[in-house]
Amino acid sequence: MFSTAGFCLISGEQASRRMNSLPTPSRPPLRSVLLRSRKRTILGLDPQKLIKYFFGSNASVAIIVLVLIMVFLLREGIDFLPTYQRELQTYRRAGLEFCDIIDKPLQRNQALSSSLRQAVGASLETLSKQARDRRDAAFLLKRQVEDKSARPRESLRQALEKTPPAPDQIEVLRAELAVASTAAAKALKYPAFFSAAEVEQMQREFSALTPEVTDLPPLLLILVEEFTVKDREARTQFAELVTAQEEFEEAAEPLQEVLDELKAKALETKEKAVEFEVLEINRQRLLEAAATETDPKEKASLTKEAEESVSEAVNLEESIKEITGRTAELREQVEKYAVVIEKAAAVLPKDAGTGAARKMVNEVREKIPEHAREMRAASATLEDWRWDKPVSIFRVIGAFFFGTQWITNSSWQDFYGFVPLLTGSLVIAAIAILIATPVSVVAAIYTNQFASEREKELIKPVIEFIQAIPSVVLGFIGISLVGDLIKDFSEWSWLQWVPGFPIQERLNMFNAGCLLAFMAVPTMFSLSEDALNNVPRAYIDASDALGATKLQTVFRVIVPAGISGILSAILLGLGRVVGETMVVLLVAGNRIAIPDFSAGPGVIFQPAHTLTGIIAQELGEVSRGSSHWQALFMVGIVLFAISLLVNWCARAVARRFEPHKA
Amino acid sequence: MSADPTAQSTPPPVVQVRDMDFCYGASQALFDISLKVKYHRVTALIGPSGCGKSTLLRCINRMNDRVPSARVTKGEVLVKGKNIHDADVDLTQLRKQVGMVFQKSNPFPKSIYENVAYGLRIHGEKNKSVLDEAVERSLTHAALWEELKDRLHANALALSGGQQQRLCIARAIATVPDVLLMDEPCSALDPISTLKIEELMHQLAHEFTVVIVTHNMQQAVRVSDYTAFLHLGKLIEFAPTEELFTNPREKLTEAYLRGTFS
Repeated sequence: MFSTAGFCLISGEQASRRMNSLPTPSRPPLRSVLLRSRKRTILGLDPQKLIKYFFGSNASVAIIVLVLIMVFLLREGIDFLPTYQRELQTYRRAGLEFCDIIDKPLQRNQALSSSLRQAVGASLETLSKQARDRRDAAFLLKRQVEDKSARPRESLRQALEKTPPAPDQIEVLRAELAVASTAAAKALKYPAFFSAAEVEQMQREFSALTPEVTDLPPLLLILVEEFTVKDREARTQFAELVTAQEEFEEAAEPLQEVLDELKAKALETKEKAVEFEVLEINRQRLLEAAATETDPKEKASLTKEAEESVSEAVNLEESIKEITGRTAELREQVEKYAVVIEKAAAVLPKDAGTGAARKMVNEVREKIPEHAREMRAASATLEDWRWDKPVSIFRVIGAFFFGTQWITNSSWQDFYGFVPLLTGSLVIAAIAILIATPVSVVAAIYTNQFASEREKELIKPVIEFIQAIPSVVLGFIGISLVGDLIKDFSEWSWLQWVPGFPIQERLNMFNAGCLLAFMAVPTMFSLSEDALNNVPRAYIDASDALGATKLQTVFRVIVPAGISGILSAILLGLGRVVGETMVVLLVAGNRIAIPDFSAGPGVIFQPAHTLTGIIAQELGEVSRGSSHWQALFMVGIVLFAISLLVNWCARAVARRFEPHKA
Repeated sequence: MSADPTAQSTPPPVVQVRDMDFCYGASQALFDISLKVKYHRVTALIGPSGCGKSTLLRCINRMNDRVPSARVTKGEVLVKGKNIHDADVDLTQLRKQVGMVFQKSNPFPKSIYENVAYGLRIHGEKNKSVLDEAVERSLTHAALWEELKDRLHANALALSGGQQQRLCIARAIATVPDVLLMDEPCSALDPISTLKIEELMHQLAHEFTVVIVTHNMQQAVRVSDYTAFLHLGKLIEFAPTEELFTNPREKLTEAYLRGTFS
C-alpha cells in the first residue's frame, strides 16, 4: 500500500515537472473547474445513480424473496397450533383420551404375548422340529415333482374332464405322466433325515401321482401323523408354558371388550363433538350478526336461532357421562387383568425349552409385573380425568415438538408428533456426515497437497461432477443397487459381528446416509480444498525452512491453519444433507416411527421417515388448510429454522477460527 | 557456543560457494559465484533488485529446490565442508543447521510457545523440559522473553509486526543452527522495530553465522562484517564491509554505492 502511494507521489511530481517544461496551455478559470459539469439525466436522475439502483435492487431481490418465504411459511403454519389445540380439545371432550389412557399401555400386551408365543414355538420345536422338518420336506418334494411334470399332468386332467372320454388318449397321457413323474422323482435330492426305505417309498408314490387322486400318498400321511403326535407330546411336556401363554393372551379379552365398547361410544361422541363445534361456530356467527343487526325483529330471530343450537352441548355432556360412568367397571376389569397376568407370570416355568426360549420367557416374566404396575397406574389416573378441562397451548406445543407419534388419516385420532421425523432426519444426517467428512477432507488434503497437476485435473472435475447427478437418479441407485448390496453383505457369515446384521429392510437409514454422504462430498471437498488453498504460502515457507517434511508441514501447519474452513465446509455439507429430499424419500424406508435405539448401533439399519420426506410425500395429498396441511407447514418452518441455524453456525465457525485474517 | 579465540584467529568458512552457476529453467540467474562465509560473522549481500542476492541466499539451505526447474548447473555449495547437493545429504538436517528468516514475518497461527517449539517438535523432541528450556533460551536471544514470558500461550498473530519478526528469529534459532539466513528481515518493519532487529543481529553474531540480504546499504554498514555486492547474477566484489564501502575496488561497486543506479 505504501509503495503504491509513494509511486503515485513520485509520478505526480514528475508529471508536474514535465508540465512546467512545456508551454503552458490556456487554463479555464478555477471556479468553473470545480463546478460540477451538467450531465444528461433520466427521469431527473443521474445515470450513474440509476445504474447503482439497478444493481442494488437485483441484490435485494434475494433478500425480499427470502423474507417472503418466511412470511408465507409462517402464515400457513402458525395457525396449526390453535387448530391442533381444538382437535386435542375434541379428543378430550369426546372421551377418546379417556380410552387411550388404558388402550395405550394395553398395547404392550400384544408385544409380550408375541414374545411368549415365540418362546412357546421355540420350546415345542426342541421336540418336534425333526418331525416337522420331515413333514415339510416331504410336502415340498411332492410339489417339486408335481411342478416338473406339470404339463403332462395338465393335459391328462383336461382329457379326463372331456366328455365323452377318449380312453385311448387317456392311456397315452397316463403313460407320459408316469414317465415324467418317475424321472422327476428320481432326479430329486432327498434330505439325509429320510431313510433309504423312505426315499424308495416316496419315489414310488410320487411316480404314481395322478390328477384324479386328491388324497395324500400314504407316507405323507404317516409323516403328518408323526408330527401331530410329537407336537402333542411337546405340548404336554411344556404344558405349563403353553397354558401360561394362552392365559396371558386371553386375560386381555374381557378388558378389551369393555374398552372396545367405550371406544365405539367415544367415536360416536367425537362425531357429535365435531358437529357441536360446527354449531358453536355457527352460533357465534349468529350472535355476532345479531349484535350488529339494527332491525329488532331480525335481531330477535337471530338470537333465538343461536339459542336453539346450544342444546346440542348438553347432549355431548350426556354422551361423555355414558363413558365416564363406566369408570368403575373399567377399573375393575383392569384390576382383574393385572391379577391374571401376574398369576400367569408367576406360573411361567423358569427353565423352559431351549436357551433362546428361556431367555425370552425370563424377559417376559420380568416385564409382566412392570406392565401390571403400568396398567394399575393408568387406571388410577382415570379418576382424575375431566372431560371439560381445557387443553393449554403449551401442551399443544409440547404435543407437537415432543410428540412421539405422527399418525394421520386415522379413524381414531390424528396426532402430529415431530420426534419420529426429527430422529430420522438427524440419524440419517449423522450417518452421512460421518461417512462424508473423512472421505472429502482426506481427498481435499491429497488433492491440494500431494497430487500432481495431472491428478488434480482428473480428481477435481470428477468430484465436482457428482453434484450434477440428479438426486432422483441417486435414489434409484439406492433402491436398486446399494440396498441389495447392503443386504447381501449383511448375510455374509464373517460380517455377522456388525451390529444389526443380518438386516431386515433393504431401504433403511444407513442406505440413505450412504447416498447422502455421496451427495455431500462435492460440497465438502470443494470448500475444504479452498480452505487449504487459502492457507498463506508463508506458513509453508517457514515450515519448510525449519526442515519439516511434507507430511509434517501438512498436518502441523496447513491443516490446523485451514481448520476453520474445513469445519465450515462440514457444516455446509450438513445443511445440504438435512435439506435433501428425494433420496431420503426414495431410500430411507419411510416408516413413521422412532427408531428402536435399544438395538444399539444396529439402529442405523432400520427404516425411518424424515422432515423433508414427509412434506414431499404428504403435502400433495392433503386438503388445503386442514390441520394436516398446517402441520406439514410447521415441519417446513422447523426445517427452515434448522437450515438457517446450520448456515449461521458455518459462518460463525469460519469467522471464529480465522487466525490468518486477524 | 561463545566465540572461541582460536576459532577467531583461523575462522573456517562455515559456508563456501565454489564456482556456482544457477539456473531457473533456461535462464541463468547466478554466474560463477565463489564466496566464503566466515564463522560467527555477519555477511551482507547487497545489490540492485533482481541481481540474484535472494537466490544466492536460498541456495545455502536449498529452498530453491521447491521451484521445479531451478538447479545448480555448475560448481557446489559447501556447508561445514559438506557439499549440500550430495546424494547422502538429508534436507531436513541441512535446514535444521541452516535456519532462515523471511522478508515478511510469518509466525504460524499457533501460540508463541508452539511457534518457537515447532522446529524442535518436528525433529522429534518431545521432552517438555527440553522444549521449555529451548523456548526460553530462544526468546531471550531474540530479546522477547521479558516482553512475552507471561503470555507464552497467546496467539502469535496478536503480536506487533516487529515482535512477530523477532519471534520468527527465535523460531529459527531454537534448533541451534550453525547458519542463520535472513532475507531482508526489516523491509516490512517500521524504523524502531528495524533498529531492534539490527541490535539483535550483533548479539546473534556471537553465536551464529549470519548471512543477510538487504537492499538498505546503511543497514549493511551497520550490521555486517563482510559485504558481497552482486550485479546481474555476478559477484562483483566481496570484502570486509568497511573496506567495501570506503574503498571499493570495482567501478561498478562504486557507482552503485554512489546511487548512480539502483
